[in-house]
Parts: sequence; structure tokens; C-alpha cells
Amino acid sequence: MQKNRIESQTIDLFTRQNKEKTISCIWLGTALVAVITIILILGFLFKEGLPAIIEIGIPEFIFNEIWRPTSENPSYGIYSLIIGSILVTIGAIAIAVPLGVGSAIFISEVAPPQFREAVKPAIELLAGIPSVVYGFFGLIVLTNWLRILLDLSSGATWLAGSIILGIMALPTIVSISEDAISSVPKDFRSASLALGATRWQTITGVLIPSALSGITAAIILGLGRAIGETMAVLMVTGNAAVIPDPIYNVLSPIRTLTATLGIEMGEVAIGSTHYHALFGMALVLLLITLFVNLSATYILARIREGQTGSSRTPLFSHEQRKQIRSIIILSILVASGWISFQIVGFHGIAILAAILTLGYVGSRFLSRQSKEKIAFGCVTIATALVLFALVAIIFDIVSNGLPAITWEFLTESPRNLGREGGIFPAIVGTIYLVIGAIAIALPIGVGAAIYLNEYTLEGRLTRIIRAGNDLLNGTPSIVFGLFGFAFLVIFVGLGVSLLAGQITLALMVLPTIIRTSEEALKSVPDSLRHGSLALGATRWHTISKVVLPAAAPGILTGTILSIGRAAGETAPLLFTAVVFSKRFLPGTVFEPVMALPYHLFILATNVPGADTQKYGTALVLLALVTGIYAVAILMRRHAQKTVRW
Amino acid sequence: MKQQNNALETQALNLYYGSTQALIEVDIQIPKNKVTALIGPSGCGKSTLLRCFNRMNDLIPDCSISGSILYHGEEITGRSTDVVELRKRIGMVFQQPNPFPKSIYENVIYGPRVHGIKDRKELDAIAEKSLKGAAIWEEVKDRLHDAARGLSGGQQQRLCIARTLSVGPDIILMDEPCSALDPIATAKIENLITELKEEYTVVIVTHNMQQAARVSDYTGLMYMGRLIEFDTTPVIFERPKEELTENYITGRFG
Repeated sequence: MQKNRIESQTIDLFTRQNKEKTISCIWLGTALVAVITIILILGFLFKEGLPAIIEIGIPEFIFNEIWRPTSENPSYGIYSLIIGSILVTIGAIAIAVPLGVGSAIFISEVAPPQFREAVKPAIELLAGIPSVVYGFFGLIVLTNWLRILLDLSSGATWLAGSIILGIMALPTIVSISEDAISSVPKDFRSASLALGATRWQTITGVLIPSALSGITAAIILGLGRAIGETMAVLMVTGNAAVIPDPIYNVLSPIRTLTATLGIEMGEVAIGSTHYHALFGMALVLLLITLFVNLSATYILARIREGQTGSSRTPLFSHEQRKQIRSIIILSILVASGWISFQIVGFHGIAILAAILTLGYVGSRFLSRQSKEKIAFGCVTIATALVLFALVAIIFDIVSNGLPAITWEFLTESPRNLGREGGIFPAIVGTIYLVIGAIAIALPIGVGAAIYLNEYTLEGRLTRIIRAGNDLLNGTPSIVFGLFGFAFLVIFVGLGVSLLAGQITLALMVLPTIIRTSEEALKSVPDSLRHGSLALGATRWHTISKVVLPAAAPGILTGTILSIGRAAGETAPLLFTAVVFSKRFLPGTVFEPVMALPYHLFILATNVPGADTQKYGTALVLLALVTGIYAVAILMRRHAQKTVRW
Repeated sequence: MKQQNNALETQALNLYYGSTQALIEVDIQIPKNKVTALIGPSGCGKSTLLRCFNRMNDLIPDCSISGSILYHGEEITGRSTDVVELRKRIGMVFQQPNPFPKSIYENVIYGPRVHGIKDRKELDAIAEKSLKGAAIWEEVKDRLHDAARGLSGGQQQRLCIARTLSVGPDIILMDEPCSALDPIATAKIENLITELKEEYTVVIVTHNMQQAARVSDYTGLMYMGRLIEFDTTPVIFERPKEELTENYITGRFG
């Protein structure tokens, strides 16, 4: 009896080691998926884009401003599209940053704590609104307002695009900036106040500089979302491939790289120069976002270094920094002067001048206390504007959408191009897509996180994996769509199908799952692992029985956020999985499906006179996605309150 | 005449955090140009009392006080008191060194700048004077534009003292300024405190009775929100009148 046990233990030990090795290899494999994906994306964009770039020539392709791919004498210059993308993004940042940072200041420093408790989760919830819903609101409501307000022939303009993108970026910017400001140590606040600084002086002199890296990160995230955004921009900017004339004319229609891909990819003849040119364009888009992300990482690192004290000499000397600051301020002044002239004419200049003189006189002669009151007034107004914009969107959709919600609407197939009938196949299609995407992404993502956090030390391999993950995270969703089309639909031969859509969505949400899972694993204290290992448990046993259960709430939150994102995404599905009308539910994963965001997009842009159905679809999508987000936020709060290490 | 010699004075001061009373009927006179130490066990109210003098308790939401606090004979508890001006005159050094995440120079001139000084030469002069006053000039004069967070803990605390001096206070409140420092850095700060009383009135809260004995001219013992005994330091440490004081300084409780 005794002997038997020892024998079985040695056998156990042998197989156990093999088992451990196998498990470790599996996780390494999952960790490499992100890297392989980004390599494949780059590879396919190159492969498909190169013929066009060679045929057209790089200077002609990048710097010719005429994009006319379907005319008799086709011209493939993407210059005006690049400029369009940049201008829309700049406009969005100009709107979102002051409002977002102002609201963050108000919420963390000026408002009573109860306000923060109530508003913070609400704003986080809004970060989940799908871009197609923003675009829908922009198309139906905002462009109309602008048209009437500014007396234009069409409200679909650069300005509309920037406003919608700005509003989209606001929840992210407010939420992350607020975190950064409130996590500045209390000591700094006390020290500044004890020196006799007013609260406003403390905010501008100490809190914002200390929170600068967090605020910058927030702005970059917002910027990333803006530059890679397809659907919302496509729906509101008018899509004329022109460079605004003059360049600061915010009322000109504009067309972005992403919108061009979204519009033309579905209709292009595969293999034509036009087709290859679109892939070249996607490559340029990817490189631009890559450049933005890299420089952002660099700036962030410099800010952090400057604060913690390092031996490297700063980028600019004291005096140079001062000069740069005054140049920036001057150019902002000139630019805003021109823009207000453009919109309102000479009155605009006069108003701007009046505001500036007022500001100058104020800064010279007002007491610090009065300045504080004015500043607090401004951030209060910023917060009010942010809340108003977000509430207006939700109110518009809910109030117009509710009448459409009937039992038939939710359970029947669409008829007459969606003007009648319901959206049942679209709801089911979205659910199928999301379930498939998560079923693929969750094991891979959690596996990669386990590998990164539990099985290796930081080294070259983890750096490569992390870099790949960051790149994938920064890849615009429309690029995923193109990749899915070229690789899954054509190369692998899946065709436009549920499966192709599921895989594309899975690859898109993978970085989020990896990142949140890794954070969750990191927050499990080592003492728990040591406790288990010291009892003779194997590594995998420790992970599966001790670490993963402890990290489960965090992993689940990340997963739910990914579900929300996958459910609301349109761009990656455009060419991989969706059709507008399908009477029956898909029988196998190789058939195409309907999806809510796409249904809304087509109803809004291509089907005149289905207003109730449009709003109804928007409401169902909004409710679905924010509902999923609400669960995530509640779970996180619950975990924060109950879990204490 | 007596008032002239007191930098700070409280009369029947009571302080409440919500419904719990943290200070009970405190009467204390802090003499000018002397070092006054407040000692007592944790939670006795010594830091709370210190924070009354520059109204830092205003930052705590449900904190209320009754009684009066006189600064050079002037009431400072009222609504009409300019808190900003008051804090400029009564500086404070905190328990943890808390330089801002800026350069050494930016830290020192933060206060003057906040109070409206813009002239570069004037700011430079203030920076030098304050850093000299805090006995740290020699160590940092060649790297004024380096990040303050790169300094050692003791240097950071002296920088914080310099930052306090920069706005020209006449009273400096110190809330356990050495509790986060090693013995050598502590000795430097203690020497500095002795020098500071030439120009300033210093009130220091400390856990460390030896420190109180070494640096202070007057000592007050607090216990459970009350000021038990206040006298010159030699009297407190050699022939205290109260049994509680005797017990505390001989280490029988606390």
C-alpha cells in the first residue's frame, strides 16, 4: 500500500513537470497571437497596398490632392484625405480638451463629493455609447441645427465632425483626467494652501502640473479614438474630398481617410488599382496612428521623468520653453481670430478682441478671490455643457425611440428596406457576433495575460509582446475591417460570414482583454501565490485555484467592457460579416448576418423615411451597450468596495 | 503689554469633528521669537491645535470651532479673516516632506509667485535668501532646475522649510517635521530650528520628547484634547506641576 503510493507519486512528479511545460507553452502561444496579428495586418496592408503605391508612385499618392478613383482619368491622391483626418481631429481636440479638463477640475475640486459620486459613473457609462449612435445623432440632429443656426446649405461639415468627435472623446477625457487630478497626493494641496495660495492657484499651480501625465494620457486616448473613428465621421462631415478653402474654413465639408475606406471598400472591384490604393491608404492611416501613439508614449515618459527627477537634461532649456509657450499662445490667438472671423465675420474679431481685453484687464486688476470665482464659474459652465451634450443625445434617442419599441419591432424581420417590420435578426446577429468574438478573445487574452504576468520575467520577449499589444490597441477599427476582408474573407476563404466577423471583432478587443486581465492579475498580492506554492502546489494549480479566482472580478470587468465595444462596433464588420437584409437567422457560421449597428447605419444613411425605425434601432443598440457597461461599472465598484488586500 | 509678546494666543478654544470633540477649552499663549513644542500621545489634539493657527482645519468638511484665536492680538477665527493672507503670515511645514513635482527653484518661488511677484531678479533673490535661510543653499545652488523629488528626504524637508520662508511669514508651524527622517537629517533640521527663532516664532509638534527638550524654549503637554500643562521647557522636563506630565515625560504612558 505504502510502496504503491510512493511509486504513483514519482510518476505523478514526472508527468506533472511535463504538464507544467505544456501549459506554459500553450500560454506562450496565446501571448504571441497579438504579435502575430499585428504582423499579419502590416503584412497584408503592404501586400495589398504595394501594387498601388508602385503604380501611382509615392509622391503622387501622398501629395496629390485629387482623389477621383472612379472617373475616366482616375486620380489617386490622398493628400486632401490626410489633411481632412488631421483637421477633424484638431477640431475635436480643440473642443474636447478645454471642456473635458474643465469638467474634470470641476468634478474633482469644486463640486461637493456627492456630485462626484453621482456624475463619475454616469460619465463612464457614456464612454460606451457606440460611435454609430453618435454619428446617427450628428446626422439627424446636429447637422440640422448647424444648418439652421449658421444658415448653411448643408450642416454636414468639418465643424459637425469635430463636434461629434469631441463629444465622443469627452467621457474618456473627463473620466481619466478626473482620476489623475484626484490622485494627486493630498500633501501637495495642503502645502500650497498653507503658503497662502487660493484654491484656484493651487489647482493651476500644483494639481494640474502634477496630474499632467494622467491628463496627457487622457487626451491621447481621446485623440486616438478621434483619428481612427470611422462611422461617426462618415455620417456627419459631408465627405467631399476637398481641402477646406481657406484652410481654416470649418464650415467646409471634409473627408477623412477612415470615411473613404468605409464608403469605398464595400463597392470596389477586388484587384483593381482603386482596391490596392485603398489598402495603401489604410497603411498610411495605420502609420499615422502609430506615429501619434509613439510620440505620445515618448511625451508621457518625458513628463514622468521631469517630475521624479532624472539626470537626463530636459528637452528644452528654461528660456526656450518660455519662448515655445509664447509662440503656441500667439498662434492659438491668431488661429481663433481667423476662425471666428470666418464664422461670424468682423463681429467675430471684435468679440474676440473684447474677450481678450477683458481677460487682460481682469488678470491685471482683479483680486485673486475674484479670479477664483470667475475660474470656478468657467469650469462649472464647462461641466454643464458636457452634461448637456450627453444628456441631449440620450434624451433625443430615448424620447424618439421609445414609440418604436413594440413586441413586433423586437421579434420580427424587417420588411420594405427596414421601413416596416422589426429588427429581430439584427439583434440576434449582434448577439451571435459578440458571443463568438468573446469566446475566441477571452481564452487567448487571459492566457496571454497569465503568460506575461505569471510565467515570465520582464525581458525582450515580454517587451515585444507588449509592444505588439499596444500597436494592436492603437489600430483603427476600420483597418481591422480591411484586414478581416483581405485575410479572412479572401485569403482564408471564409467569405463574408459570421465567423469572419467574429474573428475580426475578437482580434479587435483582444488588447483590451489582455490589458485588463494583466492588471487584475497584478493586483493579486504575491503573498497569496507564495502561500499556495509553499504548500507544494504546482504553478498551474496555484494560478488556476488561487490567482485566477482572486483576479476574476477584474478579468470579468474587462471582458464585459469588451462585449460592449464589440456589440457597438460597425467598421470592422462592414466588409467581413454583415448584410443589410436577411429574412432568416444564419444556420451556420459561414453565412452572413445582420447586426444592429450596421442596420442603424444603413437606415440612417440610405433609407429615407424610416424615422421611427431608425430611432428604435438606435435606442435598442444604446440600451444594449450601455446596459452591458453598467453591469461592468457596478461590478467594478462592488469589487473595489469588498476586496481589500 | 503682555499681548505684544505673544505671537499666538487661544482662549477657551473648542474644536469638533462632526460630533466628536478634539480640543477642549484650550488656553495657550505662544511667545514671540521662541520655539514652542507641543507634545503628547497620538490623538491628543496637538496637530489639530497647530492646524487651527493657520486655519488648515477649514479644509475638513465637518469641522467647527468655538472660542477665540488671537494672532498678535487680532481675532482670526471669524468669517471676515482673509485666510489666504493669514497663511502667508503663518507658514507650515508638514510631517512628510512634500515638495511639488517641479524643480527646486520652482518650488521655492511658488509662494512668492502666487502672491503676485513676477520680476525675475526679485524671485531669484528670494529663492537664494530662502534656501540660505533653510541651510540648503550650498547643497542645491548648482542644480536649482533639477527636480525637487530627486533630493534626499532630509534635503526635501529643508526645501519645504525654504518654501515656507519664501513668502516671508513671521510664524512657522511644524507638524512633526522630522518623523520621516533619519537621525542625521533630523539633527540638521533641529539646528535649523534653533537658528530660525532669531527671526521667526516656531511652533513644533513632536512625538519625540528628547527633540522637544533639545530645541524648544517652551513646552505644552496635551492629553485627550486638553492642554494639561504649559511652561518653559526646563520646568516641564525637570519639575512639572502635574502628575500627568510627570508620567508622560518619564515614559509611563503614551
